This record gives sequence, structure tokens and C-alpha cells, in this order.
Amino acid sequence: MTLALVRRGIVYLLLSIAAFVSIFPFYWMVVGASNTSADIIRGKTSLGSALLTNATAFFTQVDAVRIFWNSGVIAVVATVLTLAISSLAGYGFEMFRSRVRERIFGFLLLLLSVPFAAMMVPLFVMFSQAKLVNTFAAVILPTVASIFIIFYFRQTTKAFPTELRDAAKIDGLKEWQIFLFVYLPVMRSTYAAATIIVFMANWNNYLWPLVVLQTAENKTITLILSGLTAAYTPDYGLILFGTVLATLPTILIFFLLQRRFVEGMLGAVK
Amino acid sequence: MSGLKLRNVKKSFGSVHVIKGVDLDIEDKQFVVFVGPSGCGKSTLLRMIAGLEQISSGDLFIGDKRMNDVDPAQRGIAMVFQSYALYPHMTVRENMGFALRFAGAPKEEIATRVAEAARILELGALLDRKPGQLSGGQRQRVAIGRAIVRHPDVFLFDEPLSNLDAELRVHMRIEIARLHKELNTTIIYVTHDQVEAMTLADKIVVLRDGVIEQAGSPLDLYDDPDNLFVAGFIGSPKMNLLAGTAEAGGIRLADFPEQLVPSPVAVPAGTAVTVGIRPEHFDPTGSAALETTVEIIEHLGGETYAYARGAGSSLLTLATDNNRTLKTGERYQARFNPASLLVFGQDGKRLR
Repeated sequence: MTLALVRRGIVYLLLSIAAFVSIFPFYWMVVGASNTSADIIRGKTSLGSALLTNATAFFTQVDAVRIFWNSGVIAVVATVLTLAISSLAGYGFEMFRSRVRERIFGFLLLLLSVPFAAMMVPLFVMFSQAKLVNTFAAVILPTVASIFIIFYFRQTTKAFPTELRDAAKIDGLKEWQIFLFVYLPVMRSTYAAATIIVFMANWNNYLWPLVVLQTAENKTITLILSGLTAAYTPDYGLILFGTVLATLPTILIFFLLQRRFVEGMLGAVK
Repeated sequence: MSGLKLRNVKKSFGSVHVIKGVDLDIEDKQFVVFVGPSGCGKSTLLRMIAGLEQISSGDLFIGDKRMNDVDPAQRGIAMVFQSYALYPHMTVRENMGFALRFAGAPKEEIATRVAEAARILELGALLDRKPGQLSGGQRQRVAIGRAIVRHPDVFLFDEPLSNLDAELRVHMRIEIARLHKELNTTIIYVTHDQVEAMTLADKIVVLRDGVIEQAGSPLDLYDDPDNLFVAGFIGSPKMNLLAGTAEAGGIRLADFPEQLVPSPVAVPAGTAVTVGIRPEHFDPTGSAALETTVEIIEHLGGETYAYARGAGSSLLTLATDNNRTLKTGERYQARFNPASLLVFGQDGKRLR
């Protein structure tokens, strides 16, 4: 009896610590956006009255419309392209029997272990030779053939009933039509889950844009925010206000696709 | 007009030969059932006819046209799958009209044909539902409806009733038989259930290991099997098969050594044979008899089956002319008419 109670107490304690660790930074960010830099440094953790000041400061110092537009275009285009290319690849890997299929796929998975930092310099050389440095294309292109997303689509395609493909063939559909009119709608949960993952990765992407985007008018929100911390006396209220703004799109997308995201993660084909 | 001809059709996956040379003629409007144990290649053969599997060698004709390299949609076939394979994101109506929409049929024609199929299958009330909201039997009817809508020359059914419960299976079996009468087209039907095969088919094709063991009408196969495999596969309960040796005056069965069973065919003395007799061919008025001890009794109401043993190890299944007074442990004289025996040689071939 008491042992069970103790055990339960420990579980709750651990869960509470985990919840605190997850939620506190978020809370602190929101609260910080309404406080002055001095209050934040002092460690104030309640709502303040400097929200408007921070907002005004942010919008005067940063060309917000432009920056969000840049981040938005990059994230949206990269997400659409990544889903299109990687889901096609995942579909192909699962649907077509070939002697070399598993070897190629194994090789791809092996490539996952190459850190991006190791590819950065050769990539930069490539893009500069292609005269693409300081363009959105340079940020987007390296991300669109995502091995992880290909892997994810291949795994979820295993649950796609092959008889549906057979039925579609008999109904007169070509392979690309099967993909477009049968596979895609059936797998929409998978697409939703992948959308969240890919959008977040692109929206939050920092290292590669930092290298390849060089003029102020092309920079993304992550670059701008990190630029603000580099100031001689960083205004933390302003930075946290910008951070709150930068978080909004991912939160929005997550809540829009939440139900499908959970289904997709469970691999639901119904 | 749309019979099928298969000429030395083969299929291999790499070095694995799945279909090892099939010759078959299917007449127009015939109901043909491919039956056999799992892994015998019956589904593969059906998929080859559908165009879902390439034919490795040989020729397939539908009507008079060689179809080996023709696209599945152009073969004039429609297929019903075991798992129904309905598009989950479309309503019943959209599912049924999908193929026509892709073929570019005008909207009114699609609507008319879907309505016609819905009438035949009594699906009218379900047209705006999605497959997820239907029961197994309803899904199967939609799958059949999707096939009907295309007005195919040949219907292909791949184990369509396997996912249904027993009661529904019997019901759908009758539906399919009725459908064949109403549509009056060629049907090729794959099943591992020999009762389905017996009840539905005009012609049964028994397959084993990628080879046709025998093809013919259900009663031909029942009465006159060519080999041990077909004899054992067709008929329920299964035929009793007993090992024996031919002697001058008949056959001596290993499990009943004390008596000589008269043979319906002439077999050279000393030949090892297998004797087959169906449970329902045991008949109290028969001229020959086997002395047995009853071990298990099954009362089905209309018939009583006894499982009985002679001196040896094999258990015989006997129809007892509904002898309801029979008890386990009793001696039972299993009488039969020697003319109803089937004799098979050592290679499994029927001796005639």
C-alpha cells in the first residue's frame, strides 16, 4: 500500500520535473517579452509592463515584414519540395522490387551519419560556382532530398495496401496517377506529420542560412534574432519579443495539423 | 466472344518457378474456379490474367486477342480483391465510378452505370458513405459493384469471401452465383475452399505447385478424379485413403489385413496401391465390408459421421446413413459397394 503510494509519488515527481523543464523556457520567453532587459537579467519571472516598449523597439530595429517573408518563403517552398521529392522516393523504394534496392537504401541511411558541418564547405563551393550564394535557392536546395523524410515515407508506405495499387492499375491509372490520386490522399496523415517536422526544421534552420545568406535583405528570422544577441548590450526584452513572434508560425502549423500529426506518427492507414 | 486461352503459360521470380506451364481453355460465360492449397500459384495465375504480373513465357488470349503485353485496364477485365481494396478516401459512389471517370466517360453515363450496379447489389442507401463506415459484407458488395460498373468481359475474383465470417460467406456465395446468372459473363474465381469451388463452378481447375492437376466440372472431379491429390482435395468430409497391395483375388489393405477387398479394376498382383473411398459411399446395403471399432461420433442432424478404426492406425470417416443409435466403442461393419472404390497407383495416378 505505502510502497505503491511512494512509487506513485516518485513517478509524479519525475513527470513534474520533466514538465517543468519543458514548459519553463517557454513561459520565461513569453514573460520576458513583457519585461525590460534589466528585469530579465535580475531574474524576474512574472509578467511585466514593457510589452509595448519591446514591440516598438523590435519593429523599429527590424524590418519584420521582410524578415518574416524571407523565412516564410524559404520554409514553405522547402517544405513543399521536400515532401514532394522525399515522398516520391519513399514510395519508389517501397513499391518497386529491385536487386540493388536495399543496398542503395542502406547507403542512404549511412549518409545520415555525416554531420552537416562536414558538408558545409564543399556545399558552399558548389553553390558559389553555380552563382547561387545569397539566394533562397541556396538555402532550400540542400534540404529537399531529406534522407530522414525518405526513410519516414518508406516506413509508412509499408502500411499502404498494395492491393489498392493493383486495383488502381486495373482501373486504368498510370503510376504517377496512382501516386497522386490514391497514395497521396490515403497517406495524408503521414504528409501532415512530415509537414510539421520539415517546416519546423526549415523555419528554425540556422547554420546553413548563416553561411549562405549574406545581405541583410535576404536574412531569415533566426539569423536576425541571433544578430540581436550579438549587440554590445543586448536588449533581452526585445529579443524575447522577437522569439515569441518567431515561434508563432510553428505553433500555428502544429495546432492546425495536430490530429493528423498524431495519426501520422502512429502510422495510421485506415 | 470472350473466352480465354492460356497456352504453356509460365511465371518465374528469378530462379523460383511459380507457374510451370499452364494450358487452359475457358469458354465464354463460364464460371471457372481455380482451387488449390496455399502457395499453389492460383492467385499468381489470376494476377497474370489481370496483367498485374508479367507472363514469363507462353501466351494469354482473351477473346481472340493476345493480351500478354496489354495494359490491365485495356484487357476488358475487372477484379475483386480479397481485402476489397476500396479507396478509403472516396465514397461508395466515387469508388464505383472511379475507373469510368479515368476512362473519360461522360458524367451521365457514370451516374447511370453506378445506379445500375447499386440496384443489382442493393447498395442504393450506402452510395454516399465511405468504406470505413461499411461492414465487411457491404465492402465486398461495393468491390463487386466497382467491377460491375466497368461492364467487363471477364470478372476476376481473388479469394473474395476469405475475410468474411462463415454465415456471410454462405450468403455472399449465393449472391455471386445469382450475379453470374444475371450478368451472364465469364468469371474466374480463386479460392482455397473446395466447398466454394464445388458450389459455384461450371469448371474447376485444381492447381498444385504451379501445375494443373485436373480441370473439369465439379461432379467430374468428384466422381472421377485423375489422381490422389484431386481425390483428397475435392469432397467434404475428405475421401478415405488406405494403403494396400494387389493380390490375385483383390486388394489387401494394410489396416484390414484379415480380408481381401474386391478391386473394381484389374491390378497386377504385388502392386502397391492406395484405395480411396468417400465417407458417403459407405452403405449398409453394400456387398463388401470392413470390420471397425467406432471411436468418435459426429451428429449433424441430417447425417451421422463415425470415425472408426480397423486393426491399423488410420481413422476412417464413415457416413452411417444417419444411424443415431451408434455408440463409441461399438463394433461397426462398414459396408460398401466395391464399384465405388477408386484405386491409385504408387505415383498417385488413378488406375482405371
